[in-house]
Amino acid sequence: MSFGSPYTTLPDFEYHKPASLEEVLQLLKKYGDEAKLMGGGVGLIAFMKERLMSPGHVIDVKEVRELKVLENSPGKGLTVGAAVTLSELLEGGVLRKDFAVLHEAIARVADPMIRRRATLVGNLCEAIPWVDSPPALIALDATVAIAGPDGRRSVPVSDFIRGPVDIDLGPTEMVTAVDVPHAKGSHSAFEKFTGGSEFSLASVAVSISNGGKNRRARVVYGSVNSTPVRSAEVEEAIKDGITPGSIRKAAELSSEKVECVDDVLATAAYRRHLLKVITTKVLRRMMSQ
Amino acid sequence: MREISVTVNGRARKRIIKDNELLLDFLRDKLEVRSVKAACWRGECGLCTVMLDGHLVKSCLVLAVEADGREVRTVEGITSDGELAPIQKAFVAHGAAQCGFCTPAWVLATHELLRTNPHPSDADLVEATSGLICRCGTYNQIREAVAEVSAASKAHRHPRDTLARA
Repeated sequence: MSFGSPYTTLPDFEYHKPASLEEVLQLLKKYGDEAKLMGGGVGLIAFMKERLMSPGHVIDVKEVRELKVLENSPGKGLTVGAAVTLSELLEGGVLRKDFAVLHEAIARVADPMIRRRATLVGNLCEAIPWVDSPPALIALDATVAIAGPDGRRSVPVSDFIRGPVDIDLGPTEMVTAVDVPHAKGSHSAFEKFTGGSEFSLASVAVSISNGGKNRRARVVYGSVNSTPVRSAEVEEAIKDGITPGSIRKAAELSSEKVECVDDVLATAAYRRHLLKVITTKVLRRMMSQ
Repeated sequence: MREISVTVNGRARKRIIKDNELLLDFLRDKLEVRSVKAACWRGECGLCTVMLDGHLVKSCLVLAVEADGREVRTVEGITSDGELAPIQKAFVAHGAAQCGFCTPAWVLATHELLRTNPHPSDADLVEATSGLICRCGTYNQIREAVAEVSAASKAHRHPRDTLARA
């Protein structure tokens, strides 16, 4: 998140490489606030170079067996362990069928070398407002699985991200996985606009499920505010079908109703314009599929 | 401080390092592997690219301690018996190096691309090297060099468009 950093070194820390989840939790219990967990390290190493983080202890969870779980079954849905990299998730396009919005959101993250290191859970835990995976996960009703000294708990991704670089996670807890439910007859897609920036200036994640009587739509905007924003108005506009008329209405509503902010990447006014563009683009693509 | 052992281009190297040392600094300063360049330090330009256990990584985003017990290969490791690899010869023939600063990383990345995909398409080349920058802008010459090696390869060709030589 730097803009011309002078730093090329890392602060002093002690490196730990636990082999099991239990060991990770013990280290967290011992060091608490002093420790930072490292998955791929892409974000942590960058933050440490900036001295935005100077942990005394770095706990590398890459080799923790329990965190390497990657399961996808029609009954249970998708489980992505904290040590699963974006490359592993993209391999063979296994997400394309039922979780297209997630596939599309992560397929264009950085470059192949970074995707081989970066993890989905790490990406999520950074809670940087301009990152693409959180809106996609919220559109899929994903939840975060957390382990801590008092046992395990589960939180919807939408509640887990509390603000910029602020997540619902105690100093002795860790995220073990992200769980994505399998929605019958679902159809989803992702679109973003970067304008050449390393981050998105605006993104949209859409998921529609036709299973049974409960047809539901999720429309989540990323990068326009400090946390991803769901729009009930846009969801309502497309709930009964994606047609040229409903697309026009959804695009207008996105621009009018979704709260956008000014920041270093773009103005709120520009973002409102982009919302109209990407909403139209993503819905047209879904209509023709 | 701890001792780590890393196999670099086939040779086991042991050094005492600090836990906060980057793989980039370990290779350049401790082992004097100077083909690995330090430029942006933040994972954007890719000039510090090396192979770690057979996969391309940006060594400014990897801790030296993570490489303990593992294998690193740099551009020096792709020649055999002093003979340049086909992609290296093609880089020379097509003038694919301008100032030359990024060349080791590009050679390593295109060598690896051609190894896993002997007949890459334009899109394959762009995607595989999207993490690398050439500040002189030799992208066309690099593309020509890759196309030449691809054309000369006897490996099975996919029934789709591959890089055409201009």
